[in-house]
Amino acid sequence: MIQTVDTILALVLLSVLFSFGSSRLPALIKVIAFQGVVVSVVPFFMGHSMSAGGTAFTIVTLLIRGIGIPLCIYLAIKKIAIRREVEPIVGFHASLFAGLVLIVAAISVAPKFHLPHASGHVLLLPTAITLLVAGMFILMARRNAIAMVLGYIMMENGIYLVGTSLSLRTHHIVEFGILLDVLAGVMIMAIILQNIKQAFDGVDTALLRTLKE
Amino acid sequence: MVEIVFIAPLLAGAVAFFLRGRSGRPLLVSTGAVHLLISVLVWCFRPAAAFPDYFGISPEGLLSLLVISLLFFMISIYTTAYLKGARIHSEPIFTGCMLLFLATMTMVTLSDHIMVMWIAIEATTLASAPLIYTHRSAASLEATWKYVLICSVGIALALLGSVLITLAMDVGGVFAPVSFSSLTEVAGELDPFWLKTGFVFILVGYGTKMGLAPMHTWLPDAHSEAPSPASALLSGVLLNCAYLGIFKTNKIMQAAGLGDFSGTVLIFFGLASMLAAAAFILKQTEYKRLLAYSSIENMGIIAFGTGVGGIGAYGAVLCLIHHSLIKSSLFLSSGNILIGYASRLIKGTGKLARLMPKTFVAFFGGFAGISGFPPFGIFLGEFFIVLGAFRAQHFVGVGIFALSICVIFAGFANHMMKISFGEAVAAVKFEEKATMVWPQYALLLTSVVLCFWMPETVSQTVMNAVNSMGGGL
Repeated sequence: MIQTVDTILALVLLSVLFSFGSSRLPALIKVIAFQGVVVSVVPFFMGHSMSAGGTAFTIVTLLIRGIGIPLCIYLAIKKIAIRREVEPIVGFHASLFAGLVLIVAAISVAPKFHLPHASGHVLLLPTAITLLVAGMFILMARRNAIAMVLGYIMMENGIYLVGTSLSLRTHHIVEFGILLDVLAGVMIMAIILQNIKQAFDGVDTALLRTLKE
Repeated sequence: MVEIVFIAPLLAGAVAFFLRGRSGRPLLVSTGAVHLLISVLVWCFRPAAAFPDYFGISPEGLLSLLVISLLFFMISIYTTAYLKGARIHSEPIFTGCMLLFLATMTMVTLSDHIMVMWIAIEATTLASAPLIYTHRSAASLEATWKYVLICSVGIALALLGSVLITLAMDVGGVFAPVSFSSLTEVAGELDPFWLKTGFVFILVGYGTKMGLAPMHTWLPDAHSEAPSPASALLSGVLLNCAYLGIFKTNKIMQAAGLGDFSGTVLIFFGLASMLAAAAFILKQTEYKRLLAYSSIENMGIIAFGTGVGGIGAYGAVLCLIHHSLIKSSLFLSSGNILIGYASRLIKGTGKLARLMPKTFVAFFGGFAGISGFPPFGIFLGEFFIVLGAFRAQHFVGVGIFALSICVIFAGFANHMMKISFGEAVAAVKFEEKATMVWPQYALLLTSVVLCFWMPETVSQTVMNAVNSMGGGL
């Protein structure tokens, strides 16, 4: 029987491929929001017993990861009304191919780790690895500063998936602190993005070259 | 109630945002004084934490706490005078962020839970980002962007590393609190594979924040663009806080019998940082970037010493304390030079010895200290590290270590001579007020005094911090 968790995680893997092939920022932001929603609800379907506090925490995570963080970035780009295209360093076709290779590699590597809590959910670890590496890929392969922030958020989603789903030791108050840090970080990045747009007349990171050796 | 140490500056910082004009300055100094007082009391009485799951007192944390507190007090005195001379946009944000920065760094020194440590270190990034953007120039914006993005991504890797360590507990079937102190006790039962992987991620993550090469690229930009008091805090204390995360994880590795592995990785990153600093210091054109690369060098020395272990780890902790004292005094002096000559370039300065004699004494004294001349503690620290490396038979490592130190000294001395005695191109408009030179003197003097006479309780705490690494004389 195909499990719910694996089904929605498969959608996340597809969304990674979509983000690698997409040149439009609003589409990328939607992908990030979707991934944020999925990684927050995965604990619901994992079959661990959920306390009332755990449920409340999951809903807060859902609100912040699925709505708060993407909204921050969306408002930032709307306010500065920049060109909504992403300038790639690695082309879109090459990126798509790299994404496919990444997913295949993640799925073939994952079973070798023998994790105690991953049993039964085949796609959990591969998705986490894919999100992590895909986030780093976007950070390196796109010249647009907003896309870089999105890459960071994707990476963070991957780490969250490892943290909540594969490890049983979650202190909700600690997780909440981490979430607040990430939210505040993204907000600060959004503010910097607006200032960069004003100061440099664009968010192409090739413009940010005044400080170098 | 040890938490009061970071709650007090947190509240003061929140208040400072709402103050108008210059009224934040007395708040900055008084908070610094209160913080120093509480830190000394914490040192003497070692109170228990109200939330023992998350916070606790460790010897290395106590040392860092005292250094942070002393430095912040001195820097706050300097800052009040600095703010009169330098033009700063929206002073309330500056003072508020300085205080929040102090609060988050204090939280790092007291956190015992692995994840709380991460939260605190990420919070230091967020609190200090507005400080770097104080001058509102395009260059400072770029520096802030690099700082926030590179450090956030780096620290995200440290979060992954922390998660992997909890995974090492699950796989090893350990049921204990996820705190550094309890993990060090049960280290032997943790799964070695996940522990090693976690350590590498934590080292790369916090190493980014600490300025280890090749993840150091944000550091020279941020240190040169931030206003001098903020640079002094960044270099003197923030780097120590990131190091604390690595140090505590390394303790777990030592206790788990994986000290060889963690030592080798630390030695590698340490030497890489020293070589990178040596390569860039020779061709430097700006004096604040010069100081920043010197910080990268010193972090390399500290990582190397920690990796060597034994007496080397003792030397590393000595270097850590003295680097904070000396480097922050150097950055404060560089603030005077910047106001006086109105130029960041080494070319734009000259004849410092004649034009600004008091600043010259502090700047040159700091240079002698940071280069490892005998009356200052860096000399002792480096000596112990070399001794430890010989004992552990890392001969190649010692070779690279000595070579980098020599190259860096040559480069640093060359630039220093130009600044102090070279031809001056501009007229200097700077009155050397007592509050803008005495904090530097006090910091340097503390370093010298600690070298000759270390109070029994301090030396005992240093010993306690390193004894799990086989440290000690």
